[in-house]
Amino acid sequence: MSSTWAVCKREFKAYFLTPIGYVVVGMVALIAGMSFAISFITHAAITQDPSAYSYTAVPDFEETFLSPYLVFCGTLIMFLTPLITMRLLAEERHRGTIEFLLTQPLRDREIIFGKYLAALGMLGTMLLVVVVNLCIMGYFVAVEPAVLVFGLLTVFLMGAACISLGLFVSAVTKTQIMSGTMTFGVTLILFIVGNLGEDMPTANPAPGSWPEALRSLVGFFYDIVRGLIVELPIDAHAREMALGIVQPVDIMYYVLFSAFFIFLTFRALESRNWRG
Amino acid sequence: MIAVQGLTKYYGPIAAVEDLSFEVGQGEIVGFLGPNGAGKSTTMRILTAFAPATRGEARIAGYEVHQNPLEVKRRIGYLPERVPLYEEMVVSSFLNYVAELKGVSRANRVGEVGEALERCGLSDMGNRLIANLSKGYKQRVGLAQALIGSPPVLILDEPTVGLDPAQIVEIRQMIKGLRDKHTVLISTHILPEVAMLCERVIIINQGHIVAEEKIENLSDGSGATRLEEIFMRVVSSDRAAILAKTKKEATA
Repeated sequence: MSSTWAVCKREFKAYFLTPIGYVVVGMVALIAGMSFAISFITHAAITQDPSAYSYTAVPDFEETFLSPYLVFCGTLIMFLTPLITMRLLAEERHRGTIEFLLTQPLRDREIIFGKYLAALGMLGTMLLVVVVNLCIMGYFVAVEPAVLVFGLLTVFLMGAACISLGLFVSAVTKTQIMSGTMTFGVTLILFIVGNLGEDMPTANPAPGSWPEALRSLVGFFYDIVRGLIVELPIDAHAREMALGIVQPVDIMYYVLFSAFFIFLTFRALESRNWRG
Repeated sequence: MIAVQGLTKYYGPIAAVEDLSFEVGQGEIVGFLGPNGAGKSTTMRILTAFAPATRGEARIAGYEVHQNPLEVKRRIGYLPERVPLYEEMVVSSFLNYVAELKGVSRANRVGEVGEALERCGLSDMGNRLIANLSKGYKQRVGLAQALIGSPPVLILDEPTVGLDPAQIVEIRQMIKGLRDKHTVLISTHILPEVAMLCERVIIINQGHIVAEEKIENLSDGSGATRLEEIFMRVVSSDRAAILAKTKKEATA
């Protein structure tokens, strides 16, 4: 446990001993802050005069501002996580410090969880910046605490899922650039595919003239593929949660997503013992 | 303290070390000699549980390296050949981190780090960024890192590479001071160094042990010269034998 903490502390400090920590947090501050200011002012204008914006009544604050804003922050953090995860293991391998690390009296889990926790620490720092924006909002508008808490939890879970993916990619790549690019690529694919999936029809795409057995077979696989495309992307489970509608299945999704990639990271690090 | 039995390591079809067997007793300083690519670093990497062996076993203080890597790592200090360091850290905080990883208690950490700094002549460098150190000083930081927690076994891969003559003398003095308290395996190319530091020398070439000799048997007043002779003889005869073998195979 103390070794996990030691690894975590060093990793977290390393973010701020190099420019990367400042760059990432600065980018969150800039982008999340700008979009907050613009959409908050727009929402204020809508509240003043809904008809000018073709609303019949004052729209619900949580639904039109808070939840989309939190999902936006989650997506922003999702695309910035490759910058925090790319160095975790790939840099050690590139610099050769992996030889130092792996000959210290450490268990694999102490290395992996130490690094994962450090990256979660960075995620927490980014969230703090978002919380500053939310505090400003809280000064003007009274919001339901549940929406706020679950909204932030959503952003955190999204980030944690991306970090576990990035940690795994970092464990199987040799340079930071490769690691960052691949994590970014996978995140982007998941994001795009998820948006496309929303337009996929639910009906069986096989023509009616096909034999019944073939039709049901095609339908069976189509449902699986469609289900995966709709349910797998990291942001798919965020929208409702950010509204405060929390279903165990959504939380389980993020927990399992992270657990799966951490499991793969263990196997990747372990492979040194049999790969020769 | 170190016992190696039939150790073999293949990188694909190429044998880096083949059927290596040797022992190093408690408190001994043993030189591990050989030309470039002989398999010295590979052996050391196996001994420190960094890389797996293809066959054979290696024991440190009775623990098999592949079965009990954690127990082995608790008992070794290792200076790798490339001296990997976290360049963005300050010397003393890096050593403090190492002490933490090695399980040195919080109360003893400051003393332990201070001692390592002093022994390696780094007392004035504690607050310097590792990235800004010269190669020689980086080498010393690597050495200091290996000494932290005073592990009973030290495995040093070319510890005096990149040091200036004055530093080499200092570091040799320091390594000599490790005798009896630590078991040390040093790899090096510098033959006189072996004669000065070690009690015994193991010469390997192309993955095989070609000679194993006590230094006192080599020194008839000019130990270094005899060692050089032996080294050249075993290495070149081995080469000649291999050349002859390949020739024979080619003609057959």
